[in-house]
Amino acid sequence: MPRWGMTVDLDRCTGCEACVTACHAENNIPTVGPEEAARGRAMHWIRVERYWEGEFPDVRLKFRPVFCQQCDNAPCEPVCPTYASYHTDDGLNAQVYNRCIGTRYCANACSYNVRFFNFHNPEWDRPLDLQLNPDVSVREVGVMEKCTFCIQRIQAARIEARADDEEGAIEDGALQPACAQSCTANALVFGDLDDPESRASRLSRSPRGGKLLEELGAEPSVTYLQKGDWYESGGG
Amino acid sequence: MNNEHKRTRRKRLAALLMGVFAGAVLLIAFAVGGRVATGQSAPARSGSDSVFSPAHATFREALVHFLGWRPEPEQPIPFPHRTHFEEAFLGCTDCHNGAARGPIARIPSVVFCMDCHFDIATDREPIQLLTSYYDRGQEPPWERIYGWNPEAHVRFNHAPHVRRDIECSVCHGDVTQMIVAEPAVDHTMSFCVACHEQNQASIDCVTCHY
Repeated sequence: MPRWGMTVDLDRCTGCEACVTACHAENNIPTVGPEEAARGRAMHWIRVERYWEGEFPDVRLKFRPVFCQQCDNAPCEPVCPTYASYHTDDGLNAQVYNRCIGTRYCANACSYNVRFFNFHNPEWDRPLDLQLNPDVSVREVGVMEKCTFCIQRIQAARIEARADDEEGAIEDGALQPACAQSCTANALVFGDLDDPESRASRLSRSPRGGKLLEELGAEPSVTYLQKGDWYESGGG
Repeated sequence: MNNEHKRTRRKRLAALLMGVFAGAVLLIAFAVGGRVATGQSAPARSGSDSVFSPAHATFREALVHFLGWRPEPEQPIPFPHRTHFEEAFLGCTDCHNGAARGPIARIPSVVFCMDCHFDIATDREPIQLLTSYYDRGQEPPWERIYGWNPEAHVRFNHAPHVRRDIECSVCHGDVTQMIVAEPAVDHTMSFCVACHEQNQASIDCVTCHY
C-alpha cells in the first residue's frame, strides 16, 4: 500500500496559479461570487499565498501554494462526530460527503485552513455546467470538502495498474493530481513516500525541506522545499 | 375475556393511528413539493437552496429516495434484449462495449445499431422507427434504468468488475430473458459491500464515494 505525499519547491514556484485553475476544473469546485468571498466563503482547494520580503527597493516576492497537507496525525479527523473525515490506508485524509452533516468542526480544527464548507448549492451557468468532471461528484449544500489529492485519478490509476496483474503497483510519475500536472515550473511533485526511489520521496528528504507549522505535530505529508533557513524566511 | 377485548381494541387503535400518521406523512410529502428524482438528474441540486437535509432538498425528495420510488422508464423503442440474445447470439458486451474498458458500459449509438439493421428485420415497425432516427441523425432518447441519485456520491467503474468475471446478471438481473430491460436488482450499499467483502475487494469509503 503506497503512502501518498507531495513536495512543493518554493524556489521554483512562479505564482502563476495554473494549479488553482486546474484544481477547480478537475474537482468541480464552485466559485461563490464576490459577496460570499468577502464573507470568507471562497472555495479553493489549493491557494497561492503571496509574501513580500525585505524593504523597498530591495524587495523579493515569494509564493507558497497551500492545500490539504494530508496529515498523518490530522486534527480534522478525531473531531468529526460522523467519521466523515477519516484516514485511509494510503495516508489520505478522506472526506466522505455522504456522512458529512456539516458541523464544520473539522474546518475549525484544521491548522492550515484548507477545508471548505458549501454554504449554498453550487451553480454553473450554461454552458459551464458542461465542463463538470463526471469522475468527481458535485457536493451539495451543507457538506465540507477539501483537497483529495485527486482521489479519482488515484482510483483510476489503481484500477489500471491491476488490469493485468492483481498486485500491480502504480508506477512513479504515472499518476499526478491536476495541480502537479499543470505546474509549469515543476514545483509540485506527487508520489509514494514509502517508495525510497520515487521522486517525491527523494525530494522530501532534501536538506531544503520543511513542513508547514511543523511544531503543531500534525505530521503533514507535504514537504516544502526552499533555500535558506525556514523559520527566519517565514517558511514556518 | 374483557382484557383480551381491550387488547384488540388497543391494537386496532394503534393501527388506525399509524395509518393516519402514514397518510399525513404522504400528504405532507407531496404538498411540500419537489421533483421525483430520476437516476439521471445529475447535478440535480445545482442552484437550488432549498434544504431538508444535506442530501435532500425537500421532505418529499427524501421520502421518495427512502422508499426507492423511481418513475417507470419509457423507452423510445421497445428494445427486446431476449431476441438479441437468443436469435442474434449477442452477448452483453457486444453492444455495451464500454463495460470491459472503463467506467461506463455505454448504450450504443444508433450508428452501431444500424450496422446490423440496414439489412436485418427492416420490415418491422420498431426498426423503421430506428432507421428514422438514423436518417435524422438523432440518437433515440434511451432512458437509463439504473443509476444513483447525485447525493449518493457513488463513482462506479464497470471495468474492474468485468475483469474479475462478475457476471452482468449479478447486478442487472437476467436481462437476456427480458423484453425491455427493467431494474431487477436494488443497488443498495449493503448489496455492494456484501459482494466486496465476499471477494476481498476494498470496502474503504473512498473506493466508491468521492
